[in-house]
Formats: sequence, C-alpha cells, structure tokens
Amino acid sequence: MATTIQRIRRNGLADRLMPWAVPAGLLVLWQAAAQLGWLSTRVAPAPSDVLRAGWELASTGELFVHLWASFVRAAIGFAIGGGLGLLFGLLNGGFRLFERLFDTSIQMVRNVPHLALIPLVILWFGIDEGGKLFLVALGTLFPIYLNTFHGIRSVDAGLVEMGRSYGLSNWQLFRRVILPGALPNILVGVRYALGFMWLTLIVAETISATSGIGYMAMNAREFLQTDVVVLAILLYALLGKFADVAARALERRWLRWNTAFQPS
Amino acid sequence: MSASNDTELARVAESATFSTTRPDNGLAVRLEAVERRFGERIVLDRLSLAVGAGEFIGVVGKSGCGKSTLLRLLAGLDAADGGRIESDGRKLAGEGGDVRIMYQDARLLPWQSVADNVALGLKGRRRQVRARALEALDQVGLADRADEWPSRLSGGQRQRVALARALVHRPRLLLLDEPLGALDALTRIEMHRLIERIWREHRFTAVLVTHDVSEAVALADRIVLIEDGRVALDQEVALPRPRARGDAAFAALEGRVLDRLLNVQALNPRNQIRGRVKAIRVDEVLAEIEIEAIDRSGRRDVLVSTLTARNLREHALEVGAEVLLVVFKSNEVALATPL
Repeated sequence: MATTIQRIRRNGLADRLMPWAVPAGLLVLWQAAAQLGWLSTRVAPAPSDVLRAGWELASTGELFVHLWASFVRAAIGFAIGGGLGLLFGLLNGGFRLFERLFDTSIQMVRNVPHLALIPLVILWFGIDEGGKLFLVALGTLFPIYLNTFHGIRSVDAGLVEMGRSYGLSNWQLFRRVILPGALPNILVGVRYALGFMWLTLIVAETISATSGIGYMAMNAREFLQTDVVVLAILLYALLGKFADVAARALERRWLRWNTAFQPS
Repeated sequence: MSASNDTELARVAESATFSTTRPDNGLAVRLEAVERRFGERIVLDRLSLAVGAGEFIGVVGKSGCGKSTLLRLLAGLDAADGGRIESDGRKLAGEGGDVRIMYQDARLLPWQSVADNVALGLKGRRRQVRARALEALDQVGLADRADEWPSRLSGGQRQRVALARALVHRPRLLLLDEPLGALDALTRIEMHRLIERIWREHRFTAVLVTHDVSEAVALADRIVLIEDGRVALDQEVALPRPRARGDAAFAALEGRVLDRLLNVQALNPRNQIRGRVKAIRVDEVLAEIEIEAIDRSGRRDVLVSTLTARNLREHALEVGAEVLLVVFKSNEVALATPL
C-alpha cells in the first residue's frame, strides 16, 4: 500500500494522466470499431469524423457563435437563479420570520420538476431568450437555496455566541462568523446547481432556439449529421467539466482554512 | 504538544511583561439573591456572592449544580429571573467591553488566521489592530504562529490563543468556563502558571469555573462551592503564590473542599420521586421492585429498582406501599424510604 502511494507521488505526470486513460482508451476502441465497419455512421460517427466536423464548424466561426450563445444563457440564468437562491437561503436561514413566510412556498415550487413547465414557458415567453433564462434560473435556484439554508442553520452556535459576547455587530457577525461557516455548504450547492444548469439548458435549447449548442444538435439531426450531434454532446461534457473545475477552484480558494482542502 | 513548545510556554509563563497594564484594573461584582429557573428546575436558588476587585474566585461543584449558569449570567449571555447583579455598584452590563469569557472549547474561527482570531471585535485601523493582536499573542508565547490556521495548533495552543483573544480587550472581569478541562495534565499545569502570571500583571477580576478542585486551590484566592444553586462553602485560600502542589497545606485544603463536595445531601427535593410499589420479584440474591412513579406534572412512569434480597428484608416493602425514590444519576435509581 505504502509503496503504491509513493510510486504515484514520485511519478507526477503519470498521476495526472491516469484519469484520462479510460476515456482515451474508449476513443481508440471507438475509432477502430468505426474504421473496421462494425459501427454504422448512422449509429455513431468515428471520432475522426467528429473532430473534422468540429474543425469545419470552428473554421466558419459558427461553432463559437453557438458556444457563446449557450455560455451567455448559462451564465445569466445561473446568476439570476443562484443569486435568488442565495438571497432566500440567507434570509430564511437567518430569520425565523422569513422562513415562516417563504419556506413552505419554496418547498412546494421546488417539488415541481421544472422541465415540466416547458409548455407553459413557451406560451409565456415564446421561443426567445426569456424562457430559457427562466428555466435555467429555476433549475439552479433550489440547490443553492437548500444548501445555503442548511449551511446557515448548521453554523456552530458556540461560535455565534462567542462572536456576540466579543462585541461583534450583526453585520460583523454575519460577515465573519455566519457566512464563512455556511460557505462549505453553499459551495456544495453551487456544484449541484452547475449540473442542473447544463441539464436545463440542453433541454431548453433542443426544444426551442435559434442558436446555441442544443440548437446546433437539433439542426444537425434534421440533416442526419450524427457527427455534429456527437460533437454537441462532447461540448456539453467539456463545459460541464469546466464548470466543475471552476467550482473546485473556488472551494480551494475560499475553504483553504479547512483541513480537507489543505495540501498535505 | 512538542517538547520545545513546553519549554517555550514555561519561558513565557516566567518572563511575560505587559505594557498594557492598568493599575487597579479589576471589576468588583456583587450578586444578591440571584435566581435562575429552567421550567420547573431551579438552577440558581437566591444565590448571593461578592467578588472583590482584582480577586480570583474558583467556583467548584458537581455537574448541574449551576456553576456554568452563574458564569453565563455574569457574561450577560443569559438573564436572571430574580435578584440583582451589580458591578462597581451599578447593574452589570455583561456584553460591554469590560467582561470577557473563555470557554472550555477554544471557539476559534477556523476560517481566520490566529492573529485575526485574536483581533476579533477590536476596532481601529488594520495596522494598529494587528499590532495589538500580536502583542497579546506574544504574551501567551504564540506570536510566531500568528499567520497560521487554528486547525494547525494543538489543544493547549488553541486555548492560549483564546486567552490572548480575551486579553486583547483588556477585560476588567475575566470569566473562565472550565477552559482547561480538555487539556492533558502537563499542559494544564503550564497553563495555570501562565494564567496566574497574566492575572497578577493585569489585576483583572477572575472567576474560574472548574470541576478540578486542585486547579481551584492552585489559582484562586477564594473557593466557592455551589450546591443546589446556592453557595455551600466559601473557603479562603491563604497559601502563598506560586503554590506548590506537593505542599502539605495545599493537599489539606484540597482534601477539605473535596470532602465537602462529595458529601452530597442525598435527600434534596430535586432528585426525589414519589411512587407506589407495583410488584416485587425476588430470587436468592437480588430483588427487583417495580414502582409506578408519578412526577409533579402527573405523568406516570414505571421504574425498576434492583436491590439485594437482604436489603429488601430490612426495608420490609410490600406491594401497594408508598415509597420515595431518590435518583442519583439518570440511569441509576436507589430506593430510599418507605413512607
């Protein structure tokens, strides 16, 4: 056991490449299967075809238009939904009055699968940006709300009492004791919300859009361009990974006091 | 804690000097017939106590006797149901800057550096605040750890940071709620020296709540024993400082307080339950007595008390007899007297 750990540590590059071994292996298998004719291009195009499709779309600039459209939707929707979730989580976690007033309603809305609202959303917003932003905001609100609320409630009461008796004002108490205490939970909520963000966006864009990766995929389906469809799926996977890396970076930066995030 | 830290702490305990000292710093506190109830339970029962300015009081007592409640009242974390608490002749305003409390757990903010923890609640420019925090840290011998996270410190070091955090406000009344309870014996003795040294330099009034009688004898001018919410013993400690644990007078005094502490009055109204014998089961050695008890709110409950068969013969209980139960611990029931 000990020798295994040491070997991994000593060989930093191998250690870093290890997580990618399985995806790379699968890609090689896939390419081989396509070239040997085991897989019809109608079912799944060869990775090289996907790559070529990506290159063509990138060289015309079309790919970046769609990427940008999706990214902007995701960011704005997340900012609205996450912001509201954070706000309500802080208020309801911090004040009994707000909890009594809002929590039941939020819990009821939360239990409606937000994608079930799509027909209604199309009626309300048409197929413009508004509907997609609404859905993304709705999908990201609840994970952040729930975790913020729980985070505020689970702040060590002993620390709050100590802060009060050491003369902290309400604002200082919030800024220096309650918010940092709730932050680990809030960041868990952020990571969940990022997952919901992409999920919602995919569905919203495939149903009604004139730009974005989801639209690109739907359009490609009409013309039986399976390579573009697969490209879109891969892009979503990469964007999801990117969002997760960003969230982890925030955790490492904001939670460096926590032994779980300290380099040993 | 490492050996080098021990010697470093010893050095600090011997040599600390303080530029922040004010003469006659202490706050005189007077409690008169103070009462505190939680529901029907009376925790402090018209307790009266006077603490002189600059005096070091050790409060001892069994767990649940009300000693921590007393401290929380002094800290302003809780309000009395009756009586008066005065300081320097005025009503005590516990949350003001004059009173600071040190808890059993250090209660450091894990997300702030050691220095920022010490600076908590200090007002002023960043630079001055930090300078004061570093000065306080220096007093407890931890100035070189100022920029570390609290999670990197040992239990004893965390308590020293907590002490520095209290000292930085230059309190006139320092409340110590079993602050050394979780430390190992050696660290404790080092901490005793440090606290005594700092107290002698700053001349604040100190109230130390502890379950360790020898700790109270080592540090306090006076030992107050609390029992059932009242002062049961008020014992002056007239030993020269610094006090040596091996000393005969030290041991004699510690023995006296311990004896008094262990000599509980078994029959007091707080742990009595009335009941009626429902069934008696006896074998050769043990007897089980099933008792239906009725508490003050009228709730019925069945308790089983186990005694030796010989004990039962001496008590001559029978089914239907009214009895008085005395509970010593939540899981032990002793059968007292048939009524």
